[in-house]
Amino acid sequence: MEVESIKLIETQHITTVIGAALGALLLPLLSFLIISFFKPRKGDWLAICSTFISFLLSLYCFTNIWNLQSYHYSAQWLNTGIIKLNAGLTLDNLSALMLVLVTLITTLVLIYSTEYMKGEKYYHRYFAHLSLFMFSMLGVVLADSLLLIYIFWELVGFSSYLLIGFWFDRDSAAAANKKAFIVNRIGDIAFFVGIMILFTQFRTLDLGALFGTADKAGLIQQSVVENGLWKFTDISGNAKTLNASMLTVAGLCIFAGAVAKSAQFPLHVWLPDAMEGPTSVSSLIHAATMVAAGVYLTARVFPLFSPDALTVITYIGAFTAFMAATIALTQNDLKKVLAYSTISQLGFMITALGIGAWQAALFHLVTHAFFKCLLFLGAGSVIHQLHHVQHKYHLDFDPQDMRLMGGLRKQLPVTYMVLLVASLSLAGLPLFSGFLSKDLILIGAWSWEKPGSAIIAVLLSVTSALTAFYIFRMIFKVFWGENRLQKTVENIDVSVHESGKAMTIPMMVLAIFSLFAAFSINPLHGAHSWIYEGLVVPLNSFNPKIQFTEFAESWVPIITVVLAVAMVLVARIAYYKQKMTFLTEHNFLYKFSYNAWYFDKLYNSVIVRSVVLLANFIRWFDINIVDGIVNGAATLVHQLSAVVDWIDRNIVDGSVNGIAWLAARIGDFIRGFQTGRVQQYMALGVFGLILIIVLSYIF
Amino acid sequence: MTLSILIFLPILFMVLVAVLPQALKNTFKYLNLAVSIIQLIIAGYMYLHFNHSLPGVFNEQSFQFVEKHSWINLNLGTLGKLQIQYFLGIDGVSIGLLMLSTFVMAIAALASWEIKTNEKGYFCLFLLLNAAIMGVFSALDFFLFYIFYELMLLPLYFLIGIWGGARREYASIKFFLYTLLGSVFMLLVIIGLYFSVKDPITGAHTFDMLSMMNPANYVQGSIFDIHSSALLFGVSPRLLAFAVLFIAFAIKVPIVPLHTWLPDAHVEAPTPISIILAGVLLKIGGYGIIRICMGIFPDGAIYFSWVIGLIGVVSIIYGAMSALAASDLKRLIAYSSVSHMGFVLLGIASLTVEGVSGAMFQMISHGVLSSMLFFLVGVIYNRVHDREIANFRGLYLQMPTYSVFVFIAFFASLGLPGFSAFIAEAFSLIGAFNSNSIPRWMAVVGAVGILLGAAYFLWTLQRMFFGKARFKGGEDWSAKLSDVNLREVIALSPMAIVALLLGIMPFLFFDMSNSAMVELVNATLKSGGQHLETLSKLLN
Repeated sequence: MEVESIKLIETQHITTVIGAALGALLLPLLSFLIISFFKPRKGDWLAICSTFISFLLSLYCFTNIWNLQSYHYSAQWLNTGIIKLNAGLTLDNLSALMLVLVTLITTLVLIYSTEYMKGEKYYHRYFAHLSLFMFSMLGVVLADSLLLIYIFWELVGFSSYLLIGFWFDRDSAAAANKKAFIVNRIGDIAFFVGIMILFTQFRTLDLGALFGTADKAGLIQQSVVENGLWKFTDISGNAKTLNASMLTVAGLCIFAGAVAKSAQFPLHVWLPDAMEGPTSVSSLIHAATMVAAGVYLTARVFPLFSPDALTVITYIGAFTAFMAATIALTQNDLKKVLAYSTISQLGFMITALGIGAWQAALFHLVTHAFFKCLLFLGAGSVIHQLHHVQHKYHLDFDPQDMRLMGGLRKQLPVTYMVLLVASLSLAGLPLFSGFLSKDLILIGAWSWEKPGSAIIAVLLSVTSALTAFYIFRMIFKVFWGENRLQKTVENIDVSVHESGKAMTIPMMVLAIFSLFAAFSINPLHGAHSWIYEGLVVPLNSFNPKIQFTEFAESWVPIITVVLAVAMVLVARIAYYKQKMTFLTEHNFLYKFSYNAWYFDKLYNSVIVRSVVLLANFIRWFDINIVDGIVNGAATLVHQLSAVVDWIDRNIVDGSVNGIAWLAARIGDFIRGFQTGRVQQYMALGVFGLILIIVLSYIF
Repeated sequence: MTLSILIFLPILFMVLVAVLPQALKNTFKYLNLAVSIIQLIIAGYMYLHFNHSLPGVFNEQSFQFVEKHSWINLNLGTLGKLQIQYFLGIDGVSIGLLMLSTFVMAIAALASWEIKTNEKGYFCLFLLLNAAIMGVFSALDFFLFYIFYELMLLPLYFLIGIWGGARREYASIKFFLYTLLGSVFMLLVIIGLYFSVKDPITGAHTFDMLSMMNPANYVQGSIFDIHSSALLFGVSPRLLAFAVLFIAFAIKVPIVPLHTWLPDAHVEAPTPISIILAGVLLKIGGYGIIRICMGIFPDGAIYFSWVIGLIGVVSIIYGAMSALAASDLKRLIAYSSVSHMGFVLLGIASLTVEGVSGAMFQMISHGVLSSMLFFLVGVIYNRVHDREIANFRGLYLQMPTYSVFVFIAFFASLGLPGFSAFIAEAFSLIGAFNSNSIPRWMAVVGAVGILLGAAYFLWTLQRMFFGKARFKGGEDWSAKLSDVNLREVIALSPMAIVALLLGIMPFLFFDMSNSAMVELVNATLKSGGQHLETLSKLLN
């Protein structure tokens, strides 16, 4: 069913729908401000209430927007000379969908957190920062211009920084949040350069104006590439041209922002470290929402990508998906498995965007948000209970280490069930939401026709199989077999209890959203799901549209499911029955995977070290050369003045004194004549007279 | 009269402080603060009565709060008449900086509580400095400007040299000589200009800056006449004069490699003087470049834009790298100033409205934020007389409120959106990227400076504020490192609020400066381009 073209309403007045969206945006900010300033002992109810009202308002917006109407509200923010910047909200199907998604998941996670974070010293601050996060995230979703997206984009990074460093007295957390922010900044700088290129070319940053709306082509679509030039003629007929490569560069720069935020290769290294934050934070920010912002951004600016840019995007996405999945195979830390799984799944979405399967990417974003959030919350439930045991008996073990778990399914029945649902969804088995969306991506990949498309398709299918394997490795290691922690301690009963209702109910809600029924009536094919049909691909005038081939549509799902089931069985044999082993811990491939392909080592030794070395060199240069010249000049002047001083004293003053000395000597000599005897004077006088007379005769 | 009151109020109080008996020395700091508060009120009054639509810059009629009196009129016989005016006025270029100065002086007055020795001398010099600063931003007669400009040096020299840290004498002499070096050559240009320009009304040679900006006022055949083909040392005298003035002001900004006075002066100066140095003094450099270098020699601004842009970019990266390697917190912040002021040069070099507006905004923003940063360093230095980064750890647990302010200041400085520095840097970069006068890579490299900014600030947070509390001084320090007191909160809060306000509502500033910036950039491009054309014709 084709959706009728949706009318866009441009407005400068706050209508009810826009008011509701504004309310949804600003309520969390208000709760952040109130909690931070008044520091109530418990700020949880305030945060939950405001988020829940936000959710209701979002629902209201959604029902008024989805397939009915788009809104664009904008008001002048700043006007200086040539730059006129507006700030406003854009409300179309995509942002309405994201609005509901973010507010719903945040509400659930906040409720979960009331129990998970109980007894924390900075309990209120946790809720304040999560409120700030939600405000920024909604800002990214609602913003109507690239600059505004950038602003909220950075704020999202900032709140993520605060939350990763929630336990700031741990050194590892303090290192992790710094790393996350700086790695994200690398992407942000590129993003900003992309913004500058677009601004130079089009003189506007408005999303609707640049990328077009459902019924109107944007400036990007009006620009053309010919003869190696990227040309754009504005309404008044002024032609602007940039080198054609600038189109690709602009696209890739903005994409680089997404690469950092969505933890894609080569900027993926921050996400595993970000697991230093509380697990509830990881589930909301580093799995469900914030990391998906990169995918959202890439989808928003989709019309901008040239064929070359899309190729790069595809390869980066597919490589990331594969790489992260191979790393997840060997991790022992429960949260690390999930972190790499997130990176891998985001890689799927990015690949989907690269091949033009735009709707599939966003569909997967939504389904993934639910089941990955659930995976983290479930893991949090396990960790929380083990942490209790650790605390109760003063044991020293890592509550996230899967090597110490096992057999927990009887003690944590609800957690087990929801995690099983989420894992089946992630593994992509029929009847679960993940199947619908991932299948569409795989079908897209196998239908894609560009040189090298086979590599991408194979890579994704292999990754899909690996996904099923590593996630069931986790399930079997944690919930089946025997409790390995019990073996390390004697005399103590380390059995755990199921978490309370505040934690289990949100998980159950998420589990419902991990089933197919929430998205599609047909459990076996996602193309008829309401999300897939409701999202309209924006026109990319530089690339042809992708068409699914029949071969892919009929065979890919079957093969994928067979592979996934096989992998689940293999994982069962290996980790429950323990009848099969693969690589030993000393194998190079194992180490390569376990150490995450050594990216951290590489970056530390090459980039971080060289920057520090350069900084130290500049410091040396500053002190010894630059300041050396200054001080040298001072010394030189000083020496010079010493020379002048010597000359002054010995030569200039010397000659003055010499003359004085000479005068004194002459005076002394002449004084000898002043004897006071009259005879002598007379004699001298006569002598003188004779001398004069003689001389006057001679001359 | 408003501007005169602003300038002479501190002088009046200086006399008062000087004659009051030593026994009342505890009241001096209150008197000093009172001056600043009155000045703030006056600045607020001027803000409310400032007409945004008048561009100013070149045209005396569109300046505001103008005071013009004949000051020195000497008949020199055959040499003509010597005409020096007491000529004050403000426009969109100066009002922001004037308001910033009153604000920073008030903060510095609050920071002066730490001064415990020889209060009378300190506050007299402080008030003299205050008067000179107000004068610099309002003078429109070049001679008057020069008097105020030099007058600032004297109190600063003593303030650093007497109340400073261990190497205060070295630092104060270095600072003094460096600045003097620039201003001596500036004096030559001023004299050259004086003999080239005639007041169109009186026909006498004049120091009036606005007359100097109009090419019609130049005496035919004089050294700086646009149509004169005379060369000085093989180059056009106008371009040479631009370069000389630029270097004089650039030393203040400061630029790499003429920046080494700054870390020493900042590190050795007492906190309030560091605040004034970073908050106001550096801005005089930028102000001079915009008002005087660009205004009088637009041809030079175009001719040298590439060099200025390059200097800006080098300063951004070099300053950031030096900050990354700094082990002393105050030194780190001093180098971050070098880096941030690089954006001012980059914006100016772009010769676009966005870029120059961004440069102006960066000066305001940096004035507020660097004052805040230096104040914050002063807080811990006052308590334990140490500011080595490695000697502190886990300060957050020890001083939570203080740390929140540090958080705000650091994140605002590293360009987090919502704070003023983001708008400033974004505008400078967009201007530079869009510029016809400098290449695009400069904007891109400048953007890398923002990344390095995040690196050194966050690394500092990690090293000093996170982790478990551990200090070099042990228990003793733990006892001394008390959280910020009320006075400190009163001083810090307005800076945080202003940085936030300007970040969210940048139009508060842009509305004031906009018409001036448009006028300045358009006129510079137009007349500068013409001058350069004339010049190249003359030389061929």
